[in-house]
Order: sequence, then C-alpha cells, then structure tokens
Amino acid sequence: MNIKLKFLSLLLVGMGISILTIAQTPLDGLMMPKGEICVAVVYEDANWEKYWEGAYLRTNQNVGTFNRKMIMPMIVGGITDKINVIVSLPYVKTSASGGQMAGAEGLQDFSVSLKAQLVDHTMGKGKLKVFSNLSFSTPASNYLSDYLPFSLGFGANELGLRAIGMYELDKGPYLRISGAYLLRGATEAERDFYYEDNAYYTSTMDVPDALQAQASLGSWFFQKRLRVEASLTSLRCATGDDIRIYNSPQPTNKVNFDRVEGFAQYYLKSVKGLGVLAYYNHMFSGRNMGQFSGYGLGLTYQFNAF
Amino acid sequence: MKIQVRYLVAVISLGALSYSCMEELPTELEYNGYEFAELDQDAGEWNLILFASNEEVTIPQPSAVGSPSLNQELQDAKAKIAGATPAQKEAVSYWTNNPLLRWNEIALELSTKYNLIPAPNADGTYPAPDPTKPDQYPLFPYSHPPYTSRMLAYLSVAQYDGLIMAWHYKEKYGRPAPYELDPQIKSAYESNGLNSYPSDGAVVAISSRDILTAMFPLEKEFLAKMADEHLESLVIAGINVSSDVEAGKLIGTQAAKKALARASTDGMKNAQTNKVKSDSIKNAAIARFGWSWENQETPQRPVGLTPLFGRVKMWNVPTVEEVRPIAPPAPGSEEFKENAEELKRYANNMTTEQRRVANFWNDGLNSYTPPGHWNRFAKETVVKNRLSPVRTARVFAYMNMAIVDAGISCWDAKYYYHYPRPIQSIPGFKTILGTPNFPAYTSGHSTFSAAAAEVLSHFFPAEATQYKKWAEEAAMSRVYGGIHYRFDAEIGLSQGKNVGAYSVTRAKKDQVD
Repeated sequence: MNIKLKFLSLLLVGMGISILTIAQTPLDGLMMPKGEICVAVVYEDANWEKYWEGAYLRTNQNVGTFNRKMIMPMIVGGITDKINVIVSLPYVKTSASGGQMAGAEGLQDFSVSLKAQLVDHTMGKGKLKVFSNLSFSTPASNYLSDYLPFSLGFGANELGLRAIGMYELDKGPYLRISGAYLLRGATEAERDFYYEDNAYYTSTMDVPDALQAQASLGSWFFQKRLRVEASLTSLRCATGDDIRIYNSPQPTNKVNFDRVEGFAQYYLKSVKGLGVLAYYNHMFSGRNMGQFSGYGLGLTYQFNAF
Repeated sequence: MKIQVRYLVAVISLGALSYSCMEELPTELEYNGYEFAELDQDAGEWNLILFASNEEVTIPQPSAVGSPSLNQELQDAKAKIAGATPAQKEAVSYWTNNPLLRWNEIALELSTKYNLIPAPNADGTYPAPDPTKPDQYPLFPYSHPPYTSRMLAYLSVAQYDGLIMAWHYKEKYGRPAPYELDPQIKSAYESNGLNSYPSDGAVVAISSRDILTAMFPLEKEFLAKMADEHLESLVIAGINVSSDVEAGKLIGTQAAKKALARASTDGMKNAQTNKVKSDSIKNAAIARFGWSWENQETPQRPVGLTPLFGRVKMWNVPTVEEVRPIAPPAPGSEEFKENAEELKRYANNMTTEQRRVANFWNDGLNSYTPPGHWNRFAKETVVKNRLSPVRTARVFAYMNMAIVDAGISCWDAKYYYHYPRPIQSIPGFKTILGTPNFPAYTSGHSTFSAAAAEVLSHFFPAEATQYKKWAEEAAMSRVYGGIHYRFDAEIGLSQGKNVGAYSVTRAKKDQVD
C-alpha cells in the first residue's frame, strides 16, 4: 500500500463538492501537519428575497423569502505535512415563506478533496505559499436537481482543480488569491423532454462548468489564536441558458455570482485544539440564482491521530 | 516532491477521464427515411375531414412522361442534385420521406417555447397576450394546453386532408417518380414506386408552414425558412421534380386555408374572458353547488385560464353536454375527506417512484404539454410501424381531434363545476408540482391522455395495453403531485376515453385500420 494507492482509494471512496458556500478549508492557505486531524461542524443559514432571472433581479411573492439551512460535518487530515485530505457531507433543507411549493431536505453532495502545498518560500518579511487543490464531489442522495429553486444541489459530479497563492507576513497579515476550474458532469431529470434554447429529448441535462476566483485579505492576531478575513468570491459558468421569464430555474442555467464575505476563526485557550468560526456573506451581483445573504457558525476540533 | 508529482499526474488523468465522458444530447426524434409498410394507394378515397371532395382543390394536369417539359424538369433536377451543398444533403436526411413527423416536432418545439405564463406587473395586475401585438410582452401566443391541443388538431387535419387529395391525384395521374423516369437519378430514400405528382412532401411543408405561422405569428420567418429548405430537399432527394412540388404547394395552401377558416370561427377567440364574465361563471357555480375555485397565487390572478374553452367548436362530439361527467363529491363530504387524506399521505410519504411519475408527466409550463407528450408517443409508434405519410397523417388527425375535443370537454367540466384545488381546500397543503390556474375537476392530463390512448389503441391495437398504462400513470401523476384529487383523475380518464371513442367511430367509417 503506497501513497499512490491510498490517494486513489480516497478518491474512489469519496467524491463531490457542494456549492461550497463555506468550505473554507479547500480554499484556504492552511495545512495540517502529518497525523493531525481536524473535525469540524458548520451550520449555515442563508436567505434570499430576490433572484436574478438572467441579469434581471426580481421578486416572486409565490416564493416570498427563500431559506436554505445547512449542517455540514467535515474532516481534514494531514496525510503528510504537504498533502491534506478534506471530506465533507452537508445536510441541506430548503423552504419558502410564500406559495404552496414543498421544500426539500436531505443529504447533498459528498465531497473529497486533496490539498497539496507546492511552494513554501521565505520572501522578505514573510512567506510565499502556493497550494493546489483537487476536489471531487457527487450527490450523496437521490435528491432531484431539477426542482429549482428548492433542489439541494445541481445533482452532478464535479471535479475541481484549484490553485491558491498566498503571501503572509510574519506579523500576521496575509493576502490570498485562488482560482478554480470546476468541471461538472450531467444530471438526470425525471422528465425526458426539456427546453434549453431548443428542445431536448432526453432526461440528461448538462450542468455548465464554472470558473471560481477568490481574493482574501486577512490577518492573525493573539499569537495566531484569532484569524480574521475578508474575501471576495466570484463564480462564472462557462455555458448555460438564462431562466425564462417568470419560469422556474433549471440545472442547465448559467449561474454567476459575486459575493463578499467576512470570516473569523478563534482557537480557544481553555480547551486545546478547539476552535470556533463564524462568517457572514452577501451576494451583490449574479445571474440565474437567488441573491443569498447568510451566516455560518462552526466548531472545529484538532487533534493528533497518528 | 515525488508525492507532488503523483498528485499532478492524478489531476491530469482525472481531468482527461471526465472530458471523455461528454456526449451529444438529442434534440430531435432520431429516425431516418424508411420503407413504408404499405403505400396506401387507395387513400385518395378515404373520408376527408374538412373538404367535401378529393378534387375540391384542383391542380393542373401534369405533363406526360417523355414530354419535353418533363424532360427539362428532370435535367434541372439532375443539375440540382449534382450541385447540392453539404447543407442541402443534410436537409435531405433531416426531412426524410415522412416529413410530417418533423413538422409535428417543430410544432411541439414552438409550443414549448411559447408556453410561459404572464408575470405580474409591478402594481400587482397581470398583462395578457394580445394577438394584434404578438411581439409585445407577454408574447402571443401563451401556448398552454388548450392552445396547443387546438393548434395540433388544425395542423394535423390540414396535413391529412391535403395528403388524401395528394394520394387521389397520385393515383389519378399516375406519374412515376423522377428516379423511375431517369436512371441517373437515385432516390435518397427507399425506392417505393409511389407516384410523385403532386408532391406529398410539398403538401406537408406548405400546409404546416401556413398553420403554424397563423398559430405562432412571431415565427413567420423561421417557418418560411424551414419550408423553403424542405421544398428544396424534395428535388435534391430525387423523389420530385419542380412541377410535383408546385402542385403540392397548391394543395397545401388550400388545405391550410380551409383549416384556418374553421379556426377563425371556432370560438377560441372568446375563450379567455374578462373578469366580469369570469365572475359570472364562478357565481353560476356557487349558485349551483355552493362552492367555487379561487386562484391561490400572489398576486391573485383575476381570471382563470380560458374559462370559455369549453364552448369551442368540437370536431367529433355533437354537444359538449353529452360528455359532461357527473358532479364531484362536495368539499367537506366523507368522500371528499377520504380523497384529501390520500393526498396528505402521498405528500408525507412520497416514494421515489411516485415522485418520478409526478415529474415525468408534469408537462407544465415551458413544456410541450400533455397533448405534445402524446404526439411524441405517436411519432415513435409511427416510425416503429413504418407508416406511409398519409397513414401517419390519419393517426395524427384522429388523435389530435380527440385530444382537443377532450380538452374542450374537460374545460367545460372545469368551469361548470368550478371545483377548488387541493391547495385551496386543504389548509397548509404543500405540493411538489405547481398548481395550474384553472379549477381541478376534471384533470386535463387524464382527459387528454385517455382520449389519445383510445385513438392510438384503435390504430395500434398491439400497443393498447401500454397506452392504457401510460394514460393511467399520467392521471395518477397529478394525484402524487398534490394538485388533483383521485376523483379528478379517475373521472377524467373515463371522460377522455368517452370523447376519444367519437373520433374512433368516425375513423372506422373508412374501414381501413
């Protein structure tokens, strides 16, 4: 059993990324040393009252306020000092305050991701770090992706490849930039005919690939007990159609958004390895999706396993 | 370092693996031209739907075999075939020798494209499509199920009458196809000995273009382009010369005209009423039964969908009253309560299969509607049974007359009984399908489907069990979806079957099925 086999078996065991609104870990510039494991649980609550139909921001009183709650257990482990594995499995619940459409709930997508540190260079009064992250996610239940806006996810496999560059001053402040290509497969609808600029005689829907970019400015305080970060995240689908006027969205839509976020994580002094995190985010522009604002709260516990 | 290299190798190989899984998704019925099971040479004597005689449209006597003018046409055809571009050759394989199926497919695509419900204005009122200003939002038409069912009937009837006349003249004039007259011309499809004057393809192209242009005025240019491409393909395929095509165009034009003349006076233009009329229909139901349906959307839509579609002229049923179903159980009655409890049970314990059925048959907004779904089934069965164009048209004409008659009967019941939807009667009830903007009783899916199944079972008795199963599944899909009671679905099924039988009775008069 060499490392390569372990690597492959991990990929086969898992798969899947959610719309990873929070998944800070695959995106951040932190590494767990070999043998360390971090267990985290994050709760997120997000709402929208308006959604983008194409580029047009509209309300629909038959949805009213849309709500999505998510609880996401996550495990991060240091395979080596330079390679970490991250596994997560969110449970999602959606509902609307208006109209008579039933919400949905269930397990969303199982995600496994590997993060490798490729560069660790001292440069001036700080360090330059470069990471790569490879993620794979797959639906973990038979939720219906073609039930938007209530569906739990887009219902397709996603392979993500991300590059992360970070410059961190020894005093604490850091700047991090990342870019990812998210390669998405197809999802299966329960109807075998749909319209995406023309008629399709199949239940298979192509979920558009997407590009994701993030820029974050943050800093460490109190001997690296507190981390505070502000970030800007953008997602752009490479292809896809617009939601038709006053019609439901569908998984073939071109989904874009730009989001600002504030994030803080604090490692408690009293209990070794225990941390808390909190964040708030808000979408300020988008296409074919709800204008979400939401917050998340989480607990992390880190320990040496082997 | 080694580990990092392995990491990169894994990344690259996974990426390559994912790309290789991509596939092209089908945008049309996959079929090619085929050998007809029968040529139906006597089809010129079948009963017409709209015309009184198979020579009501006259076409010129064709020039004789061996005449200079026909020889010239054959030369012209050869030049066109020799000079055909790749796009023109592709058109030959796209249109096939049974192009009615393609035009039906185009009709379904346009139904889908225009099947969007108007959004509310900022002040909470709702706009309505205006046929005199089709390009103003909301675009005309809003091709909801009644609209699509009626459109398909006119399309299919015009095609059918046109093809009966074409078959009559083919037999009368007996002019062989160009590939039989000139050994240098090869048919792009199976050679079948069908006479070519007039061109049946041209009848279909022009009748379809004209009906669909009237039904979808904003698609005029698109439809003209498709018809031109289709007409051109007939000569390039080696099955027609230009005089065949010209004669076919004459018939196609007149067939569409006759159908559209009926359409202009069938009552459809009054089907969508104003609020005053709509309220008077509702008040009549309250006086009769003590209940009424109310739209539950926010803002509330003031008028339901086409309250007077039930008064539209039927094709094969003398009066709508004779197929009107019995009254539904009163809201609050024991029978009603049992049915409401059943819906709550489904909502709380939805199985994977029930959810699949509900979604598979949803055929709601932005779809070809249930009439479209049955037209799709008919196309697949026609290809499977290798029907000739005229027999294909026969299936579609009788089926689509039955479907629209079922729709008219269903709408009559909907607004006569004005029965509330589950979301109105059951407090706090939530559904997985959107509730349409019209009363519950009876279910449109059930009546449309049972009528279609009845007619298709007549033409394809070997498939009757499957059609019955599909109709029942379509009916139950609305119950699983929480938008209909079981009695809406079950009575709708018997109503649709009953209406469909009128169409079958008429078809049987030809004694050819």
